[in-house]
Amino acid sequence: MTTDVLRAPRPMARPLRRISDKSGLDTAAGHVLMVLLSILCLFPVYWMLASSLRPANAMFETSLWPTSMSLDNYRQALEAIPIGRMLVNTLVFSVVSTAFQLLTGLLAAFAFARWTFALDKLVYSAVALTWLVPFQVVMIPNYLLIAQMGLLDSIVALILPNLVSALAILLLAQAMRSFPREVIEAARMDGARNWRILWEVMVPNLRGTIASLAILIFISTWNEYFWPLLLSRTAENSVIQIGIQMFMTAEGNQWGPLMAASTLASLPVLVIYVVLQRQVVQSFMKSGIR
Amino acid sequence: MADLTLSNLKKSYDGKPVLHGVDITIPDGHFVVIVGPSGCGKSTLLRMIAGLEEVTSGTISIGETVMNDIEPADRGCAMVFQNYALYPHMTVRQNIAYPLRIAKLPRAERDSKVEAVAKILNLTEYLDRRPAQLSGGQRQRVAMGRAMVREPDVFLFDEPLSNLDALLRVQMRIEIKKLHRRLKATSVFVTHDQVEAMTLADTLIVMNAGRVEQIGSPAEVYRKPASVFVAGFMGAPAMNLFPAAIGAGGALVIDAPTGGVGIGRTSLAEGTPVTVGVRPENLLLSETAGAGLPATVDFVEELGGSRVAYCTLGDREIAATLPPGDQQLEGRPVWLTLPPEALHLYDRITGQRIDVPVHAARSSIPSAFAPSM
Ligand SMILES: Nc1ncnc2c1ncn2[C@@H]1O[C@H](COP(=O)(O)OP(=O)(O)O)[C@@H](O)[C@H]1O
Ligand SMILES: [Mg+2]
Repeated sequence: MTTDVLRAPRPMARPLRRISDKSGLDTAAGHVLMVLLSILCLFPVYWMLASSLRPANAMFETSLWPTSMSLDNYRQALEAIPIGRMLVNTLVFSVVSTAFQLLTGLLAAFAFARWTFALDKLVYSAVALTWLVPFQVVMIPNYLLIAQMGLLDSIVALILPNLVSALAILLLAQAMRSFPREVIEAARMDGARNWRILWEVMVPNLRGTIASLAILIFISTWNEYFWPLLLSRTAENSVIQIGIQMFMTAEGNQWGPLMAASTLASLPVLVIYVVLQRQVVQSFMKSGIR
Repeated sequence: MADLTLSNLKKSYDGKPVLHGVDITIPDGHFVVIVGPSGCGKSTLLRMIAGLEEVTSGTISIGETVMNDIEPADRGCAMVFQNYALYPHMTVRQNIAYPLRIAKLPRAERDSKVEAVAKILNLTEYLDRRPAQLSGGQRQRVAMGRAMVREPDVFLFDEPLSNLDALLRVQMRIEIKKLHRRLKATSVFVTHDQVEAMTLADTLIVMNAGRVEQIGSPAEVYRKPASVFVAGFMGAPAMNLFPAAIGAGGALVIDAPTGGVGIGRTSLAEGTPVTVGVRPENLLLSETAGAGLPATVDFVEELGGSRVAYCTLGDREIAATLPPGDQQLEGRPVWLTLPPEALHLYDRITGQRIDVPVHAARSSIPSAFAPSM
């Protein structure tokens, strides 16, 4: 009983016979549908990759496969903007934001899940409400604050509003609420106080949730565009999404380098996605975003 | 010395009382079992002793120390939970060693203590497994090991065997008893299972609805249940209980289809409202017409070593234990005798035991019949 509580619920058992009876057509139709959907999702990514390899004069070819390939676009992109620097910036931005959101999320969630204090429900609702406030509402006040602090055009300024997130707090608090009470009480009897209970008993058992959350936060921070756009003044202090945008000018879009930069920008996310695919999918299902 | 004393201990949740003033003294080294139906407050009581639940009023002391405001870990109590409550991410070794690690015991000392406990509990070969890789009985033993390794003054058990299958439950029951003989630590064991309660207890505490109904040795509680509740709760099949009246000259009269029947003589005043109790194994059942009160057998439960006949007497159901046998009794008329010396009397208003002897009625009831099967 103890440990099973922590595992994901098993899918309901289905009668075996039923499946094999009808399966032929059903699974075939299902597979066709899934293949179509996959193509729909993958095609833009493929097109980005393919376009990034097309020479400038063949940019608007409609052939599925680039007739001639070159890395010119990559060279151009790398010359036009400090892509390496921007990628590092984005990485720092994403990693630090993720780490802090997890840390603050765990601490706050523990307080909400384990303690009762004055107005705790109200504070919890307030945190939940901040999640509903769109970024556009807070961006001007945040911008003014950052400007007053003299931090415009810096990575620190990018990170600052991303140290705490309601999503992390709510998700972790929920997970902690369903943590078996007896295990925590056993730890108390064994002499563990709150700090140990959080880090030595709860966190190791919430690894799945924490990993999913980390990936969610990392990807959404990596893809952030608006806030960096507000703050950045110089390419050296910007993130890669801003870099991509630099190829879209009033005179027209430089499609080749743009696609090359986009490809480079999506690589880390793609790698994470491939390596941790299962967890990403699960995390999307858990948080209800889909 | 670790006498455990609870005085006038009360607990309310949001103003709703759950324990109504419990007074218990448990001498050092005793094995006490608290038994009662689900929801009567057993766990609450145990968790208050452990320090996991705040005391509404009253005191808990261990030895001379009042424990009300002392941290759970500093009370010298260890608890074994119903769901084992092992740390899923730790190995058996780490689970057992955790309290020692927190107490900052040197590694070597920690290891030797863990090994010693594992040896007693036959866990040595499982030390490097995780709880998920163990059977229910093994997990239970790990939970006991984690409690034992702290060498507590008081062991607290909250229905630790209720998740095990019947066979394992009996084995673990015996192991716990042996362990107690060996460690001699004061133990408080909570269960709703009366067989577990009877077999484990030095002292039995029967609780109902937040109150202590009776404290005594298992034999005492069984032979002289202090209240109607205890009478009905302890024993399987349950004691037969039915209303009776005290007639002229202290005659004990019950309703039967044939009218009021005197079943004994007491020193009680005429008109006292009482409840009569008789255990199924003390009822005598006969197939000879006229030998007692006429009844019909509805249903017979085969238990192997004995049988239980559920009979209808008027509009009442009465259970009687029979020796093993093959006779077909269902649907047959039988005659029941209630031996006066085996009757229990309770005040029908307060439910408390009335300790007066019941003598054989002078009149018509024939003397006891041996069951004729
Ligand atoms: N945390 C709680 N909040 C409110 N009521 C509770 C709480 N814990 C237990 N109770 C109530 O207290 C009563 C006794 O519960 P418990 O001690 O768990 O009973 P038992 O262990 O004898 O089955 C029950 O009526 C239960 O509903
Ligand atoms: Mg309970």
